[in-house]
Amino acid sequence: MKIGIKARNRISNTAIYIILTVLSLIWLLPIAWLVMTSLRAEPGAYTTYIIPKGWTISNYTKLFTNTELFNFPRWFANTLLVAILSCIITTMLTLMVAYTYSRLRFKSRKGFMNMSLVLGMFPGFMSMIAIYHFMKLLGLDQSLAALVMVYSGGAALKYYVAKGFFDTIPKSLDEAACIDGATRNDIFFKIILPNSMPIVTYTAIEAFIAPWVDFIFVSVIMKDNYQNYTVALGLYKMLERENIYNYFTQFCAGAVLVALPITLLFIKIQKFYVGGVVGGAVKG
Amino acid sequence: MKKLLSLVLALAMLLSLSVPAMAETVTLKVWGSQEDQALLTTLIDFFKAANPDKTWDITLGVVGEPDAKTRYLEDPAAAADVFAFANDQLIDLVNADALYEVTRNKEAIVAANSAGSVESATLDGVLYGYPMTADNGYFLYYDKSVLSEEDVQTLDGILAKANAAGKKVLMDVSNGWYVASFFLGAGCTLSLDADGNQVCDFNNEKGVAAGEAIRAFCADPAFMTGDDSVIQGGMGDTICAAVTGAWNAEALQAKLGDNYAACKLPTFTCGGEQVQMGSFIGTKLIGVNTQSAYPVEAMMLAEFLTNEAAQAKRFEVRELGPSNVNVAATEEVKANVALAALSAQSAYGTSQKLVLGTYWTPAEAFGLAMENKSTDDMKTLLDSMVAQITGK
Amino acid sequence: MLGMTQNIAKKHIRPKEGFFKRTFGPLLQAFREGDAWTRLSAIIMGLGNLRRGQIIKGLLMLAFEVGFFLFHIFFGWQYLKDFGTLGTVSQRRVWDEAVQIYRRVPGDNSMLILLFSVLTLATIIPFVLIWAANMKSALKVQKQAEAGVKPNTFIQDLKTLLDERFHITLLTMPMISLAAFTVLPIIFMVLIAFTNFDKTHQPPGSLFTWVGMTNVTDVFWGDALKSRTFFGILGWTLIWAVFATFTNYILGMILAMMINKKGIRLKKMWRTIFVITIAVPQFVSLLLVSKMFTDTGVVNVLLQQWGLTDGPIPFLTDPTLARILVIVVNLWVGIPYTMLMTTGILMNIPADLYESASIDGAGPVRQFFSITLPYMLFVTTPQMITTFVGNINNFNVIYLLTTGGPLTLDYYQAGKTDLLVTWLYKLTVNEQNYSLASTIGIFIFLIVSSLSLLVYNLTGSVKKEDQFQ
Repeated sequence: MKIGIKARNRISNTAIYIILTVLSLIWLLPIAWLVMTSLRAEPGAYTTYIIPKGWTISNYTKLFTNTELFNFPRWFANTLLVAILSCIITTMLTLMVAYTYSRLRFKSRKGFMNMSLVLGMFPGFMSMIAIYHFMKLLGLDQSLAALVMVYSGGAALKYYVAKGFFDTIPKSLDEAACIDGATRNDIFFKIILPNSMPIVTYTAIEAFIAPWVDFIFVSVIMKDNYQNYTVALGLYKMLERENIYNYFTQFCAGAVLVALPITLLFIKIQKFYVGGVVGGAVKG
Repeated sequence: MKKLLSLVLALAMLLSLSVPAMAETVTLKVWGSQEDQALLTTLIDFFKAANPDKTWDITLGVVGEPDAKTRYLEDPAAAADVFAFANDQLIDLVNADALYEVTRNKEAIVAANSAGSVESATLDGVLYGYPMTADNGYFLYYDKSVLSEEDVQTLDGILAKANAAGKKVLMDVSNGWYVASFFLGAGCTLSLDADGNQVCDFNNEKGVAAGEAIRAFCADPAFMTGDDSVIQGGMGDTICAAVTGAWNAEALQAKLGDNYAACKLPTFTCGGEQVQMGSFIGTKLIGVNTQSAYPVEAMMLAEFLTNEAAQAKRFEVRELGPSNVNVAATEEVKANVALAALSAQSAYGTSQKLVLGTYWTPAEAFGLAMENKSTDDMKTLLDSMVAQITGK
Repeated sequence: MLGMTQNIAKKHIRPKEGFFKRTFGPLLQAFREGDAWTRLSAIIMGLGNLRRGQIIKGLLMLAFEVGFFLFHIFFGWQYLKDFGTLGTVSQRRVWDEAVQIYRRVPGDNSMLILLFSVLTLATIIPFVLIWAANMKSALKVQKQAEAGVKPNTFIQDLKTLLDERFHITLLTMPMISLAAFTVLPIIFMVLIAFTNFDKTHQPPGSLFTWVGMTNVTDVFWGDALKSRTFFGILGWTLIWAVFATFTNYILGMILAMMINKKGIRLKKMWRTIFVITIAVPQFVSLLLVSKMFTDTGVVNVLLQQWGLTDGPIPFLTDPTLARILVIVVNLWVGIPYTMLMTTGILMNIPADLYESASIDGAGPVRQFFSITLPYMLFVTTPQMITTFVGNINNFNVIYLLTTGGPLTLDYYQAGKTDLLVTWLYKLTVNEQNYSLASTIGIFIFLIVSSLSLLVYNLTGSVKKEDQFQ
């Protein structure tokens, strides 16, 4: 009987290994193709063969040396700046809202929460035209500042995960502190935040990634201001009809360079998912 | 180069005489395509040198000619003062009151450019743009090692040879721009009525015959569809003939080498007869934004960017077909394979100025149905296409 | 509308007059019991506070009032006065003989009129709130003065913002940003749906104006082609959302379980492999995938080389195949997310549940359906709704993969894989048909928000939130 279970286990494990290997191949195939194309010497988006005839790293070096038409280093710096700023602002706003909803009780709290929920459902880019003109009214159109504001403007709607996490911190801690004369401000900074580093990191990284992958909002805000593009929009421009032949392989190289830091960040927050920080939080 | 400089200088003198000196800074923004940026920078430097009486602050924005209208309408006030656009956007731009009429030096501009290009920028007798290029059309590129000059006269001939050689013939039938060549060749028309509504008779008898010809073409084993990247990648390898425009000339020449050739579109069998394929022809124009704070200066720049010297430079650097009659008559332009083919095809061309935005999507949907080997009744398909195009 | 539901719900709990009494009671009281200073505060804000020695607070209120009126007089009114017509004077041209051009005389700009009218009207809400607070505060300090109590100093007031009124401190910034970046734009877009803002009515060249419900009726029944398109796309959007959500959910969970299974080594490596695909921006990975499935793409080339098919398979151009393809490719996108999301929760399922099921002779399949799935559904319902809504609005997968294609003559400017949201985007960008796009946007919003509000408030997780703490 015991041997039977063991044998069955071994068979099923082998089957799982096979399935996982096949799936990994399927999942990695487009990535492998991306990396391979980024190293291809021949230009063009389409070739009649699969394995490149010549290999080169010039697609990468050209991104940094050949900046007359596509200023990749500048865009990279723009994106980094926007990502850092919007990450700081978003994290602050999100945590503030999450703490309020989780710990403070005031009238119309439920109403606020439902409102946030509903507003979060509105298709985002429908509001872009209006936002663009508001920005223009403030003299901020086509600027990186506008982009930071756009990326962090919706932060109040993304409080769920953090609130869920705060909910799991025992309220008895607050009450004890309260008896010792702590204000709610003290509780936020001295009790909740120190106990919530995983969720702070998670929120920050999620916010940091957004500017790297968005190409729609940024195109509405930046329009023709080339110098203020982010990498995503810049790379997207490489795919336009007149550029695609000459720049497709550079596009792939740029995409790899963008994907690298994001991959590292994702590996970092992976443990929060696996550890149940995010998953457990969905309860609330 | 010397000739060009002297020309620039001569023009500079002329302009400096005609415009009173002012000391204010003139801020202008120019839109051009990505590939034109270097050229535009050079030309603008010439322009500044030619007009030293003013302080210029001219910036460049990257907006390609096909996108100009869309980008413009997003926010006219933030759009460029001077921008390049394809002339099929003319009607929409004029409807939005986006373009200044060309009123200064009009006679000289009209005289310098080909009649067709001036006509392409004119609406109800008013000239709205400065002709820049006259090459916005398509024709046939082919591989000389597979097809002879005789083969490329008829579509049937091309397909027969291609099949024999195991090669493909590429035409992007699911694109309103290209698929129209069958209908236009068969004698159908696309025009506007007095109220500015699109009129289209692609669903008449000739249209149905053309539609059947498209169906037959798509069903041929040698038929292939795809976008520019497929043409650029496959020409010479799997593709022996492709219908596309002058912007691919450089890439295809590199790909085909000695076998590079181009000619007008072939004839096709339509209702049992051989009919020459038509095509859309268009131009690229430079327009001056009505929201510009410096309309006069913007017009000066627009004129400068499209004058003879600029067009000669544009051909030299980018091999774009000039609309200027003098430049078009030079030996270099005449010897250009792609432009010669385009010019041969233009005899059968229809101006795309009269095509409204509503045309493209239904035409593409029809082309897709053909590529997918739809067996639906041709008349019904064309009726619904025309209904959508005309909005009725 | 949804706020109303909320109020109705509240009415069951509290006495009917509660809401009004709470809101307007103190105001009436201020007028009834207030002295001249307090009453005058209704006109000159902060007067009551100034009188009782709260100088800074009083001045701040006064400054706010002055600012508000200056804003309305010098900015708001020029737009608000045309709100009813959205402008009457269009851009004109005048011949300028000196320089030989037709100079343009700018007319009204309908869009700016609408936009800034919304902005101006919106400022009334904070004004009313602060005005009411001003009245209450005036009465409060009056009573304190009468009772001989020294009113709070400004510093003391500030301190309450860190404690009893900490929620105000914390929520102010997020709510302002919410108002500016979400609420006002939404109101603006909702109003656009009742105008004829489209390609032939583009400011500043021409005007647009109110057309009432035309766009709404067009979409439902007025215009045969548009309503056919709307309902066709709506149907597909729902089918897509259901398939995309559930296939991802189940398959992602199974993947997580496989990796989690006892005895499987290199768990971290397997997870990382799948995570990498999330890290590549979708506009890169999906565009590449879409290139792989074209007639000349890798997949078709290989299939033909191996002799499995004669000609290319029209993955992207055949309506049915394209629909299947987007669902399948969405698995590629979504499974890693679900896998990550569920891994942690799966590990939390009490092991004894499985043990006792094992003893009862339940196989792995039955265990999955009788233990794992119900448990997961119970815990992750809110997450699922979010995913479902995300899929209804899943712009990236559809737009980057097929751009909504293949186009069809049955639809108005749309293709067979278009979702409402991609159709909306194309109408905006390609057609400049803002009014129709806004109408569709409102419907998406109504469908999605009522759905999620309903489910969120029905599932126990929201109601029981206090019990977790």
